[in-house]
Amino acid sequence: MPEPLKSKRTTIGAALLVLLTAGSAADATEDLNALVWCDHTDPTLIEPFEKAHDVRVNLKDYEGTGTALSLIEQSQPGDWDVFVIDGIDVPRAIEADLLAPLPKDQLPLGDLFPELVMPANHEKDGQVYAVSEKFGYNTISFNKDKVDPADMNDMTVIWSDKYKDRIAVYDYYLPVLGMVAIGLGKPTAGLAEADLPVLRDQLFKMKSVAKLVGGVVESQTALATGEVDILVGGGEWVTASLTGDNPALDWVLPEQGGVRWSQSIGVFKTSQKQALALEFVKYILSPEGQARLATSSCYWAMPANQKAGQHLSEPQKRALRWSDQAGYLAKAQLYPAPSPELDAQMQDVWTEFLQH
Amino acid sequence: MSRPAGHSWRAILLVAPALLWTLAFFVLPFAVMVVLSLWERVGSQLVPSWTLANYAKLLERGHFLAALVNSLEVTALVTALSILLAYPFAWILAEQVPKRWQRLALLLAVLPFWTSYVIRSYSWLLVLAKNGIVNQALLASGLIAQPLALANSRTATVIGFVHFFVMLLTLTIYANLVQLPANYRRAAADLGAGALRTFWHVILPLTLPGVMVGAFLTFVLCIGDYITPQILGGNNELLLPQVIMLQIGRRADFPTASALSIVLMLVVTAAYLAAARWLKLERA
Amino acid sequence: MSGAARHAFGALYAVLIYGFIFLPVIVLVLFSFQDGRLPVPPFQGFTARWYQAVLTDRQLTEALINSALVALASSALAVLLGFLAAYGLARHQLPAAAGQRLLLMAPLTVSYLIIGLGLLIVWNALGWPKSLLAVGIGHVVINLPLCFAILYSQMGEHQAGLERAARDLGASEIQVLLKITAPVLWPALFASFFLAMTFSWDEFIIAFLLTRFEVTLPVEIWSLLRSGLDPKTNAVGSLVFLVSIGLAVLLELVLLRRR
Repeated sequence: MPEPLKSKRTTIGAALLVLLTAGSAADATEDLNALVWCDHTDPTLIEPFEKAHDVRVNLKDYEGTGTALSLIEQSQPGDWDVFVIDGIDVPRAIEADLLAPLPKDQLPLGDLFPELVMPANHEKDGQVYAVSEKFGYNTISFNKDKVDPADMNDMTVIWSDKYKDRIAVYDYYLPVLGMVAIGLGKPTAGLAEADLPVLRDQLFKMKSVAKLVGGVVESQTALATGEVDILVGGGEWVTASLTGDNPALDWVLPEQGGVRWSQSIGVFKTSQKQALALEFVKYILSPEGQARLATSSCYWAMPANQKAGQHLSEPQKRALRWSDQAGYLAKAQLYPAPSPELDAQMQDVWTEFLQH
Repeated sequence: MSRPAGHSWRAILLVAPALLWTLAFFVLPFAVMVVLSLWERVGSQLVPSWTLANYAKLLERGHFLAALVNSLEVTALVTALSILLAYPFAWILAEQVPKRWQRLALLLAVLPFWTSYVIRSYSWLLVLAKNGIVNQALLASGLIAQPLALANSRTATVIGFVHFFVMLLTLTIYANLVQLPANYRRAAADLGAGALRTFWHVILPLTLPGVMVGAFLTFVLCIGDYITPQILGGNNELLLPQVIMLQIGRRADFPTASALSIVLMLVVTAAYLAAARWLKLERA
Repeated sequence: MSGAARHAFGALYAVLIYGFIFLPVIVLVLFSFQDGRLPVPPFQGFTARWYQAVLTDRQLTEALINSALVALASSALAVLLGFLAAYGLARHQLPAAAGQRLLLMAPLTVSYLIIGLGLLIVWNALGWPKSLLAVGIGHVVINLPLCFAILYSQMGEHQAGLERAARDLGASEIQVLLKITAPVLWPALFASFFLAMTFSWDEFIIAFLLTRFEVTLPVEIWSLLRSGLDPKTNAVGSLVFLVSIGLAVLLELVLLRRR
């Protein structure tokens, strides 16, 4: 090739490379990479920490532990620093040797709602690997102008013909399987492979009365536009942000209880920035951080730290049902926590459910 | 004819960058995918077991096969509907709109093409909602008494797709129509009773290449799309790309995802072969 | 049918199709001004605050810049590679030329999902990090066949004569390329660049699979959608629409003036 052309192309190639990598130039001195649920992407939550520590927090949000583990598998060790994961899946993460032990004395464990300490999930051999940061319920959201609120107190309403084609189901297999189990009178903690056929049949029954199965935005749209009147798997995290504009939207924990979800935060074992990552964890667990997390733009839910109450307004506390928590916590059950094999089978059942 | 080149080594250097790019970032990844589709994921490990088990899943698991069937049905329906809607439209643009307004009319017809397509699907969700604009218009006109259940269904997915492809096909068919000798078109437009015959025997065969190019593009883009069915379909059924994304997204099962992708690719290849005689690359 | 009736029928049909084509855009733009948290009917009044929210959103504005960079860079490279290949294949006798053309065109017949998945698997296997560079590479793969096809189809005999004349007058190959072929093909070069830009700018699945923190606009919009109903989504969509139309009109004017 003639020299001028060759050098010209080399120049162009170099220019392209510069262009493509230019975006990565950050103002802050350091980067912290966190794998989180979408509530952590709210700037009002993150920016105070970025300013205080002169750091840029890179956030990747995901839905569902399977997705998170899949993302981690596609990464190199050291890529990630902070991990926000479903509380119920922390043992899996500890088992997979993903998390670093945290210094107990620097964590506000005594300030948490006692039910949220969950040592069986968060600790191993006396070491703490993660801490609860936020919790809420996967239960029944509904439009109280359109349905009989009394019906919503019975979990079996989620497959009743009375509300045929007026039900949306949140597209996340674990909590919804948990709700179906609760409706059938099976404790979520004891779910095993033998229960799957029954759960599957009941899921299919639910599918036959459901209008749609969707993510957050499809479910919210359907509820807000009157496409459906009931959302299976909903709760304060879906309705709290909508009630301002549509006060008819409400949620309830049925007689049988509902599924309690919780998120935990920990530090990746392979992180090269253990100290900074720990600072981030401490910030998120601080009363101020907790209040911001509880009311973050993606979804609202209860903070795990009781002291966050000092930083929340009365209307915010009302929307979160702060004063009802004692009763709710007693009545709710945890997400199912399947083994990897059972988890794979549950996902298959869920795919069948979607295709049914 | 091209000049017999004395410097063919230089010509090879001209083509080489494009060829190498295609080999490195298209052929090679595809080859790796073929290999991976013969492996298996056991636990969180990839095992080189050289088996067709991932392909067999398509037959064993009813919901995988159903996804393929759904994809084919939706794609066929979308392609047919889009052609039927776009052809007369392109004809009107080429034939009835005065020459100097044609460019503007065409630009208007493809303008929404430049909205982000993720947002276009989301917007259809709002349009088709129970209290959305379509239902309100129909209710107000007295055509229906109860709002129609349009959103979150195959109907919604098909509408979302057809919207996009009507624009695309209008472009390709229009481009073909305006290249026709004017007297052919005038004949078809003026001959009254003979018009249909003229159209059928003269115009249609002449515009078939444009239609086929558009139809093939529609087929490829439609059958491989994830966003439209995911946002508009309400998960009342799954299409093949959705099942593939479930394999990657929730469980990192790349072997199964690869096998399903190769099946998808074979379907498209079959469509290509069916349309190949119209898809020739020609020089002006 | 009489001519007038046919015209009336045609006009009605065109209006209906235009209505269908513009329906989602109108609803999108209308509810971007919704004075309330829910971008769903009924319309509650005008506010511009969602636009303000978009313009002050760091992630969205960064994603917008990323998208523009990837689109510009990948389209430029796709046009360059496509142009050289088209020139080589149109002006020279090459061994297995038909096979080479087929190979270059092959990515056109493959779904973006498959191209993205293949690149993702290779990236994972090599331990390379996901990045905008990876997305750009993927976008060159999808746009190269388009650029090649457009440019190859425009390499007519008319230019060939000019090129021959230039060569006879002692011009080198590179001079011919830069001084004759490229200027004559300018509209086609421009059209293919513009087309490639459009496809890259709006491409979702490859960008979704191959990015992590720095994402392109469609991916950021997708994650905005995952986090619930928000008129901000409508505002982003309307802004993108406005900017894209502005660009399209500008390019149209430039192209027209050149003719």
